[in-house]
Parts: sequence; C-alpha cells; structure tokens
Amino acid sequence: MNLRDFQRVLKQAFFVPLVALVALAGILLWQVTDTRQAQLWLDHSDLASAQIAELERRIIDQQTELRGFELTGDKSMLRVFDNRNAHIDTQFTYLRQLIADNPQQIANLVRIHDAYLIWLGFAQNVISSPNPTADKSLAYRGRDLMTAVRQATRTMSEAEDKLRKERLEKAIVLERREIVIVIFGALIVGVALSIFSMMRLRQVSRAYQQSLDDLHKSAAEVYESREWLHTTLRSIGDGVIACDVDGSVEFMNSVAEELTGWPMQEARGKPLTQVFHIINEMTREESENPVEKVRRLNAVIGLANHTALLSRSGAEYVIDDSAAPIRDKEGKMIGIVLVFRDVTDQKRTEAALIANEKLAVAGRLAASIAHEIHNPLDSVANLHYLVARENDPEKRNEYLNMAQQELKRTMQISRTMLNLYREPNAPVEVDLKDLLEGVLLLLQRRLDNQNISVQQDFVGSFVVEGFPAELRQVFANLVANAVDAVGNDGRILIRMRGVPAEEFRGAGVLIEIIDSGPGIADQASQKLFQPFFTTKGEQGTGLGLWVSMGIVQKHGGNIRIENSNDGELRGATVRVYLPARTLATPSSRATAHVG
Amino acid sequence: MISYTVLCVDDEALGLQIRRALLEMAGFKVLTALDGKTAISLFETNAIDIVLLDYLMPEMDGGRVAAVMRTIKPKVPILLHSACVDLPQETVDLVNATLSKGEGPEMLISRLQLLIDASQVSMGSNR
Repeated sequence: MNLRDFQRVLKQAFFVPLVALVALAGILLWQVTDTRQAQLWLDHSDLASAQIAELERRIIDQQTELRGFELTGDKSMLRVFDNRNAHIDTQFTYLRQLIADNPQQIANLVRIHDAYLIWLGFAQNVISSPNPTADKSLAYRGRDLMTAVRQATRTMSEAEDKLRKERLEKAIVLERREIVIVIFGALIVGVALSIFSMMRLRQVSRAYQQSLDDLHKSAAEVYESREWLHTTLRSIGDGVIACDVDGSVEFMNSVAEELTGWPMQEARGKPLTQVFHIINEMTREESENPVEKVRRLNAVIGLANHTALLSRSGAEYVIDDSAAPIRDKEGKMIGIVLVFRDVTDQKRTEAALIANEKLAVAGRLAASIAHEIHNPLDSVANLHYLVARENDPEKRNEYLNMAQQELKRTMQISRTMLNLYREPNAPVEVDLKDLLEGVLLLLQRRLDNQNISVQQDFVGSFVVEGFPAELRQVFANLVANAVDAVGNDGRILIRMRGVPAEEFRGAGVLIEIIDSGPGIADQASQKLFQPFFTTKGEQGTGLGLWVSMGIVQKHGGNIRIENSNDGELRGATVRVYLPARTLATPSSRATAHVG
Repeated sequence: MISYTVLCVDDEALGLQIRRALLEMAGFKVLTALDGKTAISLFETNAIDIVLLDYLMPEMDGGRVAAVMRTIKPKVPILLHSACVDLPQETVDLVNATLSKGEGPEMLISRLQLLIDASQVSMGSNR
C-alpha cells in the first residue's frame, strides 16, 4: 500500500460514516415528519369533533329557548334567539372550512345545515304565531325536526370519530414504524460502519504488516550482502584498507592487519598515516600520504616505486599498491580504499633473475671470447715454435710481426671484455657509436660464420648519459636476437639518429635495428617483454628482452618492437629511444614494467 | 723419410699461414683451404693422409665438411681442431679425434703423427 492508497483509505474512513449518518438522519427526519403529520391530522379530528359538539350545543341552546317560549309565551325567553343565529352561522362557516378536505363530512354538514334551516323555519313560524303555547302539535313537530338535526349531527360526529379512530391507528402505526426504523437503521448503520471500519483498518494493518515484513526482509538482505562483501574483502589475498574521507581507518582485512601489525579493532578511527606507515625504500624519507594524493588528484593512483611499509612490529615490507577514491551515487568522494601486497620476495626474485641473465650473458660472452682469444693465442704459440727453430733472420722477423698482429687482436678483445664489466658508479657519457661497434666486434665471428651483412646507417657520434656495460648488454642482446632471426645470409640494418625534445620526452637518440628475418608473430608481440617468454625454445632464457627493457626504462628510455615495412627488410624493427640526460642511478630499478 | 700430406682447413688466413709454416717445418706436405668447398675439392683431387679441420667457419662448418669427406674417402683420418668448447656430439663421433686450439704446436704435431701412424697400421693390416 502506497501513500495514495493510504490517503484514500483515510478519506473513506472520514466520509463514509458521515454520509451514512446523514442518510440515517434523513430517514429519521422523514419518519418524524410522517408521525408529526399523523398527529396533526389527529388533532384536526379532535378539533372537528369539538366544533361539531359546540354546534350541537348551540343549536340545542336555541331549541331550549324556543321550548321556553312555547311553554311560557314569554318573548323575553327569546332574548338572545336571533343573536344565536349569527353564532350558529359562524360556527357552520368555521366547521365548513375545517372539513374542507373531506367531501363525506361536507355532505354530512350540509345535511345538518339543511335540517337546522328547516327547524329554524319552524322556529320562526312558532315565534311569529299569536299563541304558540296552545298548539301542542307544534311541540311534537319541533321535537321531530330537532331530532332530524341531532340525527345529522350525530352522523357527522360519528363519522368524525371514526375518522379520528382511523387517524389514531395510523399515527400509532407510524410511531411504531418510526421506532423500528430508528432501532434497525441505527443498528444497520452501526454494524455497517463497524464492518467498513474493520475492513479498512484490516487493509491498513495488512499493508503495515507487509511493509514491516519487507523492511525486515530488506534489512536481512542488506545484512547478508554486507556480510558477503566483508567476507570477500577479508578473504582477498592482498591487503585492503578502507578509510573515510578524512583518512581515518574504517576497515582492514586480515592481510592488511598482518602487514601493518595493527589489529582492525585498534586501528579503527586512527589516521591512516599512523597505521599504514610508508617510506621510500632507498631514501628512507616518508612517502606522501595516499589519502592526500587521492584527494588531490581525485583519481586512482599507484604508489611510487620502492615504497616500503613499516610494520608496527618493526618489520619492513616492500609493497606494490594502489589507492582509489570510494564514491557515492552522486560521484562525491566518501572514502578511500588502499590495496597493497607484499612484493619483497618478488623483488628478490626479480633481482635474482636479473643477476641470472647477467651471468648467462657473461657465460655466453666468455665462451665466445675464449674462442676469439684462442685463435690468435694458438697462432702466437705456433709462431713461438717457429721462431725458436728458424735460422733465417728475415723469416724470424716476419714471424715476429705476425705474432705482434695476433697479440694486438687478443688485447683488443680482452679490453672489450673488461669494459663490459667495468661499471662506473654514476652515469657517464657513452658514445653509442663506439658502443655498437664494440658489440658488433664481439659478434663478428658469428656474423661471418652465418654470412650476415650488417649495414650501419649512421655517421658521427651519438652521446648519451648512461651505464655503458648495461647499454652494451642491451645492444648485444638486441643484435644477437636479430642474428638469430635472420639466419644464414641475412641482413641487418642499424640506424641511429638524434631526436629533438617532444612533449613528455627529452632530446635523445633513437636506434633502430631492422632485420630481414620472418618478423614477429601477432600472438608473440604482446609477451615479448615478459620474463621467461622466448621464441627460441631451449636456446633462450626468455629474460633478454625483459632485462633490456628494464635497463632502458631505468635510463628513461623505451623499446618498441614491431614488424618492419622498411624497404627490402621485412623482419622485425626494434626501436630504442635513449634520452640524452638520464636520471638513472646504479641501484635504481632495472626490471621492466610490463604493461 | 716419407712426407705425409696434411689438408689444413681454417677460415682465418693469418692463422692458416702460420700453421702451414709450422707443419712444413715439422716435415709435412701442406695443402690449405680457407673454406669447406675448397677443402672438399682439394680432398677429392689430391692424395691426402690427414685432414686438420677447423669447426667454426662461414657457410659450411667443420661438421658438414667432415661428413662430406667421409662419403668420399672414409678412411682418411680427420683431426677436428677448434677453440669451440661445445662441439656437437655427432661431429665429435664423426671425426677421429679433436684437439683444442692453444694446446701448443708440439701437441698438434704429435697428435697428427699419432693419427697418421694409426691409419697406416690399419691400412697395412687390411693389406
């Protein structure tokens, strides 16, 4: 039942009894009026009877006077006789008006009047006769005439009595009916109103019960869904902390409790910075309060790299985390939720993987260097043998020259190797041209063996700031990938050019390594920079591009790989951008952010 | 003294030139080839007593060269002479012996002599 229904019921509860009572009052009024009418008719009959009696009395008075005159002959007896005539006429007229509604009584009255007039004529005769007392017959005659008058009067009186009786009965019937109607009407209206009120009340009560049930049900549902959400949050493997808009802790799951060292009961209501104490792992400086940062940016944020969480117990965890605003329906920020996880082990694993790849690279290089050095060393040993046994000074001189050449080659190779692992503590100026030529020198034998031609499309020097050994590792990796891709008789183009500063990117150098290989399969292109992804089967560690990306990103640059549409070379194009100025430090993170 | 003929194969010209001088001083007749193809044609047309074969060479590596030589004259001993540390097993199985570069000239000469002697003995017993 909604509010409109309820108002309708209220209106009904007000108007229906009102209308019913007004109707009942109307019926009662009708009954009372009817009864009153009957009473009036009864009174009318009483008045008519009284007037008939009065008429009779007056006529009898007149007769009495006439009888007195007849007996005595004394005219004084007739003192008021004539006056009486006028009275009787008035009485007749009055009575006539009174019974005007009843033709039967009018007829009766006319009969009385006629009889009276006859008697009056007789009376006039008696009065005018000289000796009324003598004539006895007159007396009889007068009596007969008067009897006729009285007879008519009685008839009328009886008719009126009968009429009264009828009217009385009718009035009694009407009174009884009135009582019955009053009793039954009141009863019926009372019962009907009771039933009506009961029905309406029951309807309202049912609706009330229904809304009460709905309320209970929805309260239970809200409670259930709240519990469900709580359980879900509690069961999440990452730490979750929810704060109100002022940054006071409202909820923590068990992982968050464990990592911060704060039980939720204690932490609730405390400022987030007290519970979630984060610092920069490297500088040991306090990190920005994520609540402030979310409020400032009004968006989802990821925290800075190298964020460490200091537990209440003193333990320190390297964490990876994000913070997001909680919004209400209108989009207004009503709180902040933090999600974080302990990545201490992950960081250690990443560091181990990087070291591993470095070792693998070093191992491969060591083997190739051993090979490169063994060849000239073998020659030098042979020459030594020859020189020791040769007597011709000219030939000995020739052998010594040859030995000189081979030694020079050996030293060049060993210098290159030393450079590879001699790493400065701060970024130094690196000439990428020298660096690439060094890389190609190391790979020269492989290139020759597979008859791969390398075209170098650059002149002059390209100097960037950076760590030469790491950059050499990157380019050794990228060129070796190209060599693997092109196979025998393949072609590789290395192009290098300076790029001016753009939005979000400083000036720097763009190096492109384009090969004539088969290019990159679509399904592989998404995963190239993920650790352990390799297209080389057992031959690859799957770490090369991942580590390379890490190094280049650390230098502030990036690597993009796509299929080439460059002239005849239709293989892969690897584009490495390195900024001229770098912010990298020897210890900064070197793992790739795989997007 | 009979002079044995050595076919010396290496893609490095200077090293090859020095080795030739060494082996000639040691009393061998020396034929040289800078790549596999030349080596095979020399092997076919000359009487060769032993092949001294480098492994890492452009186009055709020592393994493939040895395999072809085995189909032509299977009895001629082949000494694989390389600085490689991870030679494929099938190549090692194919050749008579392997020798690491840098072991020194005396070792090279003695190994060559040993292999020639062994092959002469087996040929003699066949007769």
